Amino acid sequence: MIRVTDLRKRFGDSEILKGISFEVPPQTVLGVIGASGSGKSTLLRCLNGLETINGGTIECDNVRLEAGLSPPDYRRRVKDLRLKVGTVFQHFYLFPHLSVVGNIIEAPVHVLRTPKQRAETEAYELLESVGLRQAARRYPGSLSGGEQQRVAIARALAMHPALLLLDEPTSALDPRRIQSLRTLLRTFVDRGHTMIIISHSMGFLGGVSDNILYMEGGVAVEHGPAEELLNSPKDDRTKDFLKQAE
Amino acid sequence: MWLTPGPDLKAQEALRWGADPSGGAPYVFNDPANPDRYIGYEKEMVDALAQAMGRRAEFVPSDWETLVPALQRRSFDVIVNGLEPTGDRAQVILFSKPYYIFQLQLTVRRDDNRINSLDDCKNRVVGTLGNTAASRLLQQQGIPLSTYADPVGAYRDLELKRIDAVVMDVPAEAFYARSNPKLRQAGPPFTRGQYVIGLRKGDTELKAQIDAAIDKIIIDGTLETILKKWGLWNEAQAEFQGPIRAGTQPTKVEEYTNPTTTFNWGEALWRLTRAAAVTVLLALGSMVIAVVFGLPLAVGQWKGPAWVRAFCTVYVEFFRGTPVLVQLLFLYFGLPVIGIAMPGWLTALVGLGLNYAAYESQVYRASLEAIPTGQWEAAYSLGMGPVLAFRRIILPQAFRIALPPMTNDFVSLFKDTSVAFAISVWELATAYRELANASGQFLLLGVAVSAFYLAMSLPMAHLARLLERRLRDRATERVTEEATA
Repeated sequence: MIRVTDLRKRFGDSEILKGISFEVPPQTVLGVIGASGSGKSTLLRCLNGLETINGGTIECDNVRLEAGLSPPDYRRRVKDLRLKVGTVFQHFYLFPHLSVVGNIIEAPVHVLRTPKQRAETEAYELLESVGLRQAARRYPGSLSGGEQQRVAIARALAMHPALLLLDEPTSALDPRRIQSLRTLLRTFVDRGHTMIIISHSMGFLGGVSDNILYMEGGVAVEHGPAEELLNSPKDDRTKDFLKQAE
Repeated sequence: MWLTPGPDLKAQEALRWGADPSGGAPYVFNDPANPDRYIGYEKEMVDALAQAMGRRAEFVPSDWETLVPALQRRSFDVIVNGLEPTGDRAQVILFSKPYYIFQLQLTVRRDDNRINSLDDCKNRVVGTLGNTAASRLLQQQGIPLSTYADPVGAYRDLELKRIDAVVMDVPAEAFYARSNPKLRQAGPPFTRGQYVIGLRKGDTELKAQIDAAIDKIIIDGTLETILKKWGLWNEAQAEFQGPIRAGTQPTKVEEYTNPTTTFNWGEALWRLTRAAAVTVLLALGSMVIAVVFGLPLAVGQWKGPAWVRAFCTVYVEFFRGTPVLVQLLFLYFGLPVIGIAMPGWLTALVGLGLNYAAYESQVYRASLEAIPTGQWEAAYSLGMGPVLAFRRIILPQAFRIALPPMTNDFVSLFKDTSVAFAISVWELATAYRELANASGQFLLLGVAVSAFYLAMSLPMAHLARLLERRLRDRATERVTEEATA
């Protein structure tokens, strides 16, 4: 569903991503782990077009973003890519002036030109599936962190993305809610969604991911099935990281 | 009153006389060759009068509109400024005997053949000085008028086609308009009236001295010499001075018409109400311009390329760094030099609008910058382009932040409309000045005008606060709504 080849990103003189390659098969979850500064957040921002890439390609569902395109072409591809990739930010960034339903139908109505009636019907279905139907007419300011996150997930899914990115989804949740988030995300995977999740929580990632990618210093050090990578890592750097993480 | 020495003590000293020297030729004005010096036929006449009284004349430069209150405040002893003995002035001050017979002259543009007498002016705007025989005559005949503080402004606006004609006392007309090749006299001079010297009520002794001095300089020919020197001697003066010189006093004063108006409170309130409407329209119109121009300025200064940022910054600093009064005067008097002549109301609208656009832009910029980058990124990652994200996501949030300072600015713009009086726009402050000057009712009219301002600005501020609170509390309101549902 998404294929990243030799992805490079520079900020000034320092190269943050030094040629990352991986693939996420459809209906699977890739967990990305790594210390702060390993480049995993930059990777996420490259995948949704918020950072301009300096080398390599990102292919997602017929959209191919590559470095070195002319600026207008690049912008057009980024726009196409963003329609394929949904993002749930660490701090959600819900639109505070819009109600919960307003947040969810905003992009479908104004970007995809979905009729408002239909967008609302879909929004209520999404809210149902994240368990927030009763909060539809409330405003983000009156929601708890966990509720805001679930609205953010619904908002991203309303655009029918081929890939959903989640940045540190557990940072604002208590253990009980982490458990229910895991269940919720797996439900969406079973329904056909594909995800990349960045997290510091090995426990959470171990339970939700099919594959894990370990990053260090802008390099993809190890990439493999979750069980295998977490329990018997091959690379010494992965071993050190996992040891410290315990 | 007892703080300053009375006129009796001054009698041995200078005869202090007040007049408006600004645009005051040929009465009294700054000598163009030597601006520290005042010249004019009335200046020379007062010097002659003072000499006849054995006193020294001392000129106190003042403002035409406030001559009467200034006299009452003892800023000077007498008014000598082509003053007409009107009925309403007679209630508050004392008049000397007349010293000059004035006539009125209608002036139009040379190429304008439509107007040849006052009768042709029924549906045209005629300029004149405020609170003069001419202005009262126009009001009486129901001719729309625009009042000016000095003849220069009136004739310039006539040239610029902001008005279609000017009625002015012959002395001023002779000095300012007759030699202007772009203007012509429309018909012969008309109406006759007297100029007298104004004194404080009760100064009867001084009045007697002045009356005697006037007779003296008429009889010995001094006044005739002065008037001839200034080109003001004419048939009317000869007819007026003849009997005095022949010793057959008193002169036939009743021959000369002096239109007077008595102060009418109903009329005054009606005019104030109309002025208030102008004020409101001016404030609303300017605010619309400020809001419309302020947003591109803010965005330009915030996200524009370097040259746009530079332009916006220069614009903002220019309009914030110079007084709005100076900007209005520049737009009104300066721009016609390069061929852009706007009427007063439009000048005020544009001037205040452009000025407040600078302030609004800063409010918007601060509000826009206060929206977290994450809001942009969330919008982008949902597939929105920059324009859509700005319009649907950023602007509505910034508007809420901007609303309280915008309200403030609007109330202050509302009050700033009063500077429009400087360019002859008939709004509340102008109305106050003119009505109070005409009636002397500074206190009561001041209270009335303040009440008008408050009656408009308080509900506005209240409304804005309500709107603010509604926007701010919307989230919580919804919660309670659902809790009770």
